[in-house]
Formats: sequence, structure tokens, C-alpha cells
Amino acid sequence: MTAIPTLLVIILASFFLMRLAPGGPFDGERPLDPATQAALQQAYGLDRPLWEQAWLYISRLVQGDFGPSLVYRDFTVSELIAQGLPISLTLGGLAILLALLIGVTAGLFAAVRAGKATDKTIMMLATVATALPTFVTGPALALFFGLWLGLLPVSGTGEGGAWLIMPVVALALPVSGAIAKLTRAGLASVLKQDHIRSARARGLSETKIMLKHGLRTAMVPVASYLGPAAAGLLTGAVVVETVFGLPGLGRYFVQGALNRDYPLVLGVVTLYAALIILFNLFADLIYGWLDPRMRDG
Amino acid sequence: MLKTHLALFLVLVTVALALVLPFLLPWSYDQIDWNAVRAPAFSGSHLFGTDEIGRDRLARLAAGTRITLMVAIAAALVSLIVGIAWGATAGWIGGRVDEVMMRIVDGLYALPFMFIVILLMVVFGRSILLVFVGIGLVEWLTMARVVRGQVMALKQRTFILAAEAAGTPSITIMLRHILPNIAGVALAYLMLTVPQVVMVESFLSFLGLGVQEPLTSLGILVKEGADDMDMTPLGLALPGGLLVMILVCLTIEGERLRDRFS
Amino acid sequence: MSLYTIRNLAVDIAGNRLVEEVSLTVEAGQCTAIIGASGSGKSLTCLTPFGLTPGVASGTMLLDGIDLGNADAVRIRDARRRLTGFIFQQPLTALTPHLTVGAQLQEATMQAGAARPARRELALKLERVGLSRADERLDQFPHRLSGGERQRVMIAAAIAHNPKLLIADEPTSALDASLRAEIMDLLDELRAEQRLGLLLVSHDLASVEGHADQLVVMDKGRVVESGPASDVIADPKQDYTRRLIAATPRLDEPGPKLSQPGEVLLETHLMGVEFARPGWRRGKLQALADANIVVRQGEALAIVGGSGSGKSTLGRAIAGIGPVSQGEIFWDGLPLPERRKRSLAMRRLIQPVFQDPVASLDPQWRVLDIVTEPLRNLRPDLTRVEREELAQQALSEVDLADDFLIRIPVSLSGGQAQRVAIARAIIAAPRLLVLDEATSALDPLVGAGILELLGRLQVENGLSLLFITHDIAAARRLCHRIAVMEDGRIVETGDMQTVVENSRHPATRKLIAAS
Repeated sequence: MTAIPTLLVIILASFFLMRLAPGGPFDGERPLDPATQAALQQAYGLDRPLWEQAWLYISRLVQGDFGPSLVYRDFTVSELIAQGLPISLTLGGLAILLALLIGVTAGLFAAVRAGKATDKTIMMLATVATALPTFVTGPALALFFGLWLGLLPVSGTGEGGAWLIMPVVALALPVSGAIAKLTRAGLASVLKQDHIRSARARGLSETKIMLKHGLRTAMVPVASYLGPAAAGLLTGAVVVETVFGLPGLGRYFVQGALNRDYPLVLGVVTLYAALIILFNLFADLIYGWLDPRMRDG
Repeated sequence: MLKTHLALFLVLVTVALALVLPFLLPWSYDQIDWNAVRAPAFSGSHLFGTDEIGRDRLARLAAGTRITLMVAIAAALVSLIVGIAWGATAGWIGGRVDEVMMRIVDGLYALPFMFIVILLMVVFGRSILLVFVGIGLVEWLTMARVVRGQVMALKQRTFILAAEAAGTPSITIMLRHILPNIAGVALAYLMLTVPQVVMVESFLSFLGLGVQEPLTSLGILVKEGADDMDMTPLGLALPGGLLVMILVCLTIEGERLRDRFS
Repeated sequence: MSLYTIRNLAVDIAGNRLVEEVSLTVEAGQCTAIIGASGSGKSLTCLTPFGLTPGVASGTMLLDGIDLGNADAVRIRDARRRLTGFIFQQPLTALTPHLTVGAQLQEATMQAGAARPARRELALKLERVGLSRADERLDQFPHRLSGGERQRVMIAAAIAHNPKLLIADEPTSALDASLRAEIMDLLDELRAEQRLGLLLVSHDLASVEGHADQLVVMDKGRVVESGPASDVIADPKQDYTRRLIAATPRLDEPGPKLSQPGEVLLETHLMGVEFARPGWRRGKLQALADANIVVRQGEALAIVGGSGSGKSTLGRAIAGIGPVSQGEIFWDGLPLPERRKRSLAMRRLIQPVFQDPVASLDPQWRVLDIVTEPLRNLRPDLTRVEREELAQQALSEVDLADDFLIRIPVSLSGGQAQRVAIARAIIAAPRLLVLDEATSALDPLVGAGILELLGRLQVENGLSLLFITHDIAAARRLCHRIAVMEDGRIVETGDMQTVVENSRHPATRKLIAAS
């Protein structure tokens, strides 16, 4: 399958890119004396030829060892990932569930009242939602509910789940808009199809027709959107974590990129790529269940 | 006519204003008015007030819009050209070549592209050219897929076979039969790409990786507004609202075009 | 009392009256067929009284004593549930893709309130409509079945709940010629067996002849003529009916007067075409094998077969727009190279005309550009003015006025578009036309006009024709000789009249029976 080679390509490409970047991880504010610098380079294996470094990295990767963080000296990358991943996954997971819930319901609602005012309003709202970047909604929500109304925490992870509400909502909004539109479009197009007419000709009720004969085919566009949606959520999470000061993987990544913490950056990129590939496979399975014609390729 | 194309109209008006305002306003986007720092709206010559350093908000808004849209259109054009070239080639040649080319696209689709772009930004520094190219490269995949699908469908149409029987060489078929018939769809997706690109550019600027000082963009303005939002919400509301409006209008028009050509 | 009576039916959609003053009856155990061109309103007439179109029906509609005209949506739906079964045109899309055949058949059986059927019962229903391996089919999804098999499933589902009236909207139009006869025979059997009334809609008179008891001819939303089928066909009273009957080719009509052919022009020797299997599957598909045909100067050769017989593959290979894997083609004694190696001079000799006229014209081009495209490549010696003159000439040969030159394809009717396609094909003075189902997608009257045009061109310009079709009766009107194909091979060839009267191969006999 194309998954493994893709992953390998990503890892190698990121690896070489990072090494190519001017400046190294030890160029801090105060230049170190050459001796210390050389010692540090050797300790972290940075003085070996690139190919060797790449090989070492991958062989350790397969064993689950992402290497030490060059910037957060007391931690290995695996530990940092273990800290940040749960937060990012929680954010992303809740966001997609919320988006599906709002999106599918809104889409169904609009499709049933197709052509009427309710339909047009919902679709307009959905379009607006898709155009709401997380870095606008995030601060706006923080401002409104956090600073002005004082209802929700503005940064950090507190006790309980309150800290999750605003970030998840900000993340979920654009995706829910897209899902609403896809659901409604899917249903509207399915209802025009021939097999719906056959079902109607058999005297079945409209509800039964929609649920039994229409829904699965209608959900196909949503299923094929899930893959890109996951990718989008991971990226959106970066912003949301920055805005709300959450110690998730996204924030580590940005910090790592800016500070040239190679292993950290590589580790996060690898992990994200793997997650997206996995999610795409999962979406393909759902797709196959919804429409048997796809199963045979 | 106006009512149905209200969205497009709004965008055009915004663009027009962004281009014309610098000649009408007394302040430029990076000029500092030492007498009016954090001035509220409608104070003196500052229609929307000034920011925390004393720069005129309206002028910055106009400048930010210009830069953002300029980057967006340039990047969208990059994605259009690369996407059409890739998709048309794969669709036309077909067979193994098409399979390979599309597997590459499928593989790339799975990538967290944002991260690659950020990596590129960090590695190669922050040139505005890189911003154009980098963002354009993020969006070409959808265009390639759409164009390839259209070309494959067209290739089977009998008017292409008739052209072949009439002795028309392949290149002429591509230029005079195929491209004119995909122009509509390509244009529609171009219109839909622009808002995507605007989002990416703003996102990068927000993180500090996109357009650099002294230039400004809507993304930077949103970041500045967000940092300062507890003192002056207007600094966030103005660029944020304008950004959302542009995105919404472009998306509406793009979808309308897309529906017309499907 | 008749099973189903319609009197003065009118159908309106969005304020437009599309059907007017239509009356007909269907008796139990009998078949009433509505014949008409597309747009004549026949589908609307059948389906609107039952609430299956966006239209609104007014007038008297009585089904088994129930007044549909005064019934609300719930009562009409109830009538659909219990009393009627429907069969539609496109079997592929008429069945729900994500439910198995068994699930859909079960739903159909239970729709009138019957108890859940046993699996054996469902399998029996499938066997009754002629499906083999019925038990296996119950677990299959619709897309795994062929078109003919799917239509049989549709029929089984339509009668599963023992309705009284069966309504079939173009049930065989999307099917192969030989399948058509089988499906029509099946419907006859079921009708007799279960005392069903059958209301049938078709655009093709030939397919309902011999099956219909009552015939209703419609045009432009009105009934032109109606009555017992045999009477109407033997002695049509209206001009439209007469033209329609004349336009429908039959094998028992007098043979055409054809020109005298000359020397051998085109010859193929053991020609074969193979394709790689789609997707990841291994091996090749032999679409055509060992094809030997001969076409003489001024002769029309018919290539007749069902779908999948390889006739299109043969035509495209000869026209140089499809691959050739084995064998050779000879023109005037010299070898004719395959597709990619043909010179422009060679391309001038053979030109194609396709089945779907509008799809064979570039939607973005004007008729003038479409018709002169061959000239730009094959006659570079001409000036723009000369090309335009030739275009006008070509259009007049196909009976189109000059003002068609600036029109675009979407504004043309099917017949007009096909004439433009023919004009394009003849403009560079070819010697052979390859016509791939050129009249199959057209309404009978329009198609008959095209056949006439082709016959005329053949005689006047000395053109040779390779006429590919599934309709043997239509081929007989035009062609001197015939080659019958099945499964990629030519199974019978010879003089047209001889083959029709004394066919030897079962494939030929099936095609003849279908006419």
C-alpha cells in the first residue's frame, strides 16, 4: 500500500529539510565557545555525515525512539509527545464529533425543508461557518466569553472540562459548516435519483424512503470529506493551542520549528502524517460500507 | 443582476477601496502619529482610530487587504497552472502514467501540508516569493484532481474521436477542444481556491511565519488585534470581520460558478 | 368494467399544460401500449395519476373502482402500495445500490401487508422471471448484475405483492435487441398467468408489435389515434400514425432498391483487438477476433450484433480511432496502418459518425467550425472562403439551411445535430463512412429521415457505408450485405436478403426475432 512509502518519504524529506536550514539548535543568544559546541554536537550525533544520521534516526524510530529533544534538554521527544498528544487528540476528537453532530443535523433539517426559507438560512450560515478561520473565532470567543462575560477560562488547562469548550467550538465550526453543506447536497441529489422513485412507486412513506434508501448514499460525500477534515483539524489545532495557551502537540511543533529542535519537529510531523493516513484508511472503510459499488474498486 | 452577485460586488468594492484609499488618506500604513496613540474611532483624521503604536487603523486595514489579496491571487494562479498542467497531462495520457501521477496526488493529499510549509518557511527564510509559491503548492492538488477528472471524461466523448478522425493533431485537440471545455470548471475552482489561500496566508502570518514587517497583512492585523483585544476589541473586530467577509463572499461566488459548470 | 380507465386527462407542470385530453383503458390480462416520440407526454400520462412526477393531473382516473382524481396523496400512495407495480427504464439506477437484491425483493413482497417471505419463496420469484442461480442472487448487490438481469429483478419486485396493474415506462429501451424480445415475452407470460393489466410506454413501435392489444399513439401531449393494435397498424387513419408506421423498419416490408457495387475497396484479414483488463486484474480481454470483412465501392455493409458483440470495436479499428492488435486492413489492395500511423491522406478516406449526435459535437464550437475541421487538416490548400463555401455545400447536402452555420450544438435537435455530424463526415469527400449506431438514439421518425439521407448520399456520391447497428430491420433498408457478430466474432455473412430469409446461426435468428 502507498501508506508506508509515503510515510518514509515524509520522514526523509523533513529530515533533510531541517538539516538544510541555516543555523543549528545550539545557536542561542550567547555564542558558545567552539570546544563546548563541538562536544555538544558530538554528544547528539550531529557531526556524523547526513546519511548516517538519517539511517540512525529511522532505525531508532522503528523501535519507537524519537530521540532526545534538543531544546527541552530534560525530555526525550517521546516524552514530549506523550504529554502533548492526549491534549491534541482530545481537542481534535471532540471537535470532529461536535462537527458531525451539528453538521449532519443541520444538513438533514435543511434538506427536508429544501427550497424554503429555513433551508436557505441554514445553508448561508453553513457557508459563513466554513469561512471562519480558527484564529479569528478563537480570540473572538476568548474575548466574549472569557474576558467580558468571565464564563470560561481563557488559557491553560484548568480542572474539569471547561477549558475544552471554547477551543473545541472554534475548531469545530468551519468543519461543521462543510459537513452541513455536504449532507444537504448529498440528500438533495439522492432524492432525485431513480432508485428513490422506485421506492416511492412501491408506496413507501417518505421518511422510510429517506432513511432506508437515501441516507447511506447521501452520506458518501461526507465520508470522503472526513480524511481532509482530519488534516484540517490537526492544523487548526495548532492555532487553537497557541491562542488558548494549551500544551498540545501543535504548539510544540511551532516552537520546535522556530528553535530548530530537529527531533521534536520530525517526531511531530511523523506522528501527524501517520495519524492522517490512518484516518484516511478508516474513512475509506466507512465509504465502502456506505456504497458497495466502491468495494470492488 | 446586482442582487444575485451581491457577494462578488462586495469583494470588488473592497478591492477597489483598498487600492484607492492610500491616495485619499492622510496617513500611510506605517506612519506613526505620536499625538494619537490608541485613539478611538472617529478621532480627528483617523476614521477608525489608531493602534497601540499610533498607526492609522484604516490605512493598515487597506494595506493589509492589498497584501493579503495579492498573495492570494498569485498563489491561486500558481496552483491553477500547476494543477491544470498535472491534471491535464495525467488525464490525457491515461494508463500507467495517469495511475502513477494520481497516486502521487493521493499520497500528497494525506500530508499535513501546513507543516511542510512551515518547515519550508523556517528553512528558507521568509521571502515573499516563498510565501506565494509555498501556499500555491498547498492548493494545487484539488485543482489537479478536478482537471484530471474532467479531461478523462472529455477524452471519451465522441467529438474528440471525431477530431482525431478529421486529422487534428493531439496538441491542437488539447488546446482547442479540451481546454476550452474545462475553462469553466477551472475558473470556478480558482475562485474557491482564493479563500483557501487567504486562510493559509493569514494563518502563517498569525504564527509569525508569513509576510514580514514592515509589510502587513490581514493575518498580522488579526494577530495584533488578538494580542491587544482586552484593551481595544476594535483592533480584532475590524480585520477579523473584513477577513471573514472576503472569505464568505469569494466562497459564495465560487460555489455558484462551480454549480453552474458541474 | 375496465381495470384502469383514464378520460380527458390533463397534466400541468408549473402552469404549463403538457398533456391534454388523453383517454385510454387497460383491461385485466391485456396490454395497452402508448407509442410516441420523446416529449410526446407518454411518461407523464402514465406516472402523474400516481403521484410520481412533479406534475398535477386532472380529469377522470379510475383504477379498480378507486377515483384517483379526487384522492389525496395518502390514498394515492395506498393505491400504489396495493394495486400497482412499476417498471422503469434504467435498470442500473432504479435499484438501490446499498441494499441486496434479496432485501429489496423482500420489501416489495411485504409492501401490501404480506408476512415476511421465506428465502425459498424469494428465490422462486427470481426463478420465475428467468434468473439463474436465484439463491446466490439474493445476496448480491445490484451493480453485480447485468442490465438484463437487473430488469428481471425489477419485474420480480414489481409483481411481488400481486398487484392488479403493471405500469412499464420504456422497460426495454436501455436493453440489447435480443434481450428486448425476451423481456417482452416474459411480460406477456406474467400477464396471462396473473391476469395483470399492463400499461406500456415505448418510443419504438416495433418492440410492442405483437404484444400490445390496444395501441395509443401520442404526439405533443395529445392522443393522435387509438384502438385495437392490429387495426391501427394495418389501417392507420391519421397521417402521423401512417408516417410513424412507415418509419419503423420491418423485415417483411419490400426490399430497398440499392445501387450496384463496384470493386473491392476495403478488406480486413483476421483482424483482432484486445484490451488490457481494467483495474489491477491480469490478462487481456479479446474484444474482437479473426474478423474478415469486405466492402466494395458504393456498397453498404451492415454489421449487426448485440451489445458486447464487438461491432463498435470493429468500426473504430477500421476508422482509425481504435486499436488494432492482430491482423491487417487493406485499402485498394495496399495495407492501411493502424491508428497512430495513419497519414492525413489516409484519414481523408474514412470518416466516422457516432450514436449520440450532440455528444459528437464540441459544445463550445459553432457549426461552421465543426463542419470545416476536417478541411483544416486534410485540405490545407483551401482558403478560409473556400472552406466556408464547402461548408455551405455540405449543409445543403444534408438538407440544412445556411443559417445553421452560426448555431451551437446545444441549440440543435437530435436530428439536426446528426445531420451536422454527417456534413462534417462528408465534407472532405471520403470514400467510406463508418456509422456506429448512427440512428439508434434518435426518435423513429427522425431516424427514418437520417436513413433516407444516408441512402441518398450513398447513391449520389458513390459512398461506401459500414453500418453498425443492433437493429437488423433498419440495416435492411440501407445495406447490400450483412455480417452478424457475437462475442467478438463474425458468425454469419452474406447478401442481406438471403441471410434474413435463410439465417443459419442462432445469433442471427435471435436478432431477427427481436425486430
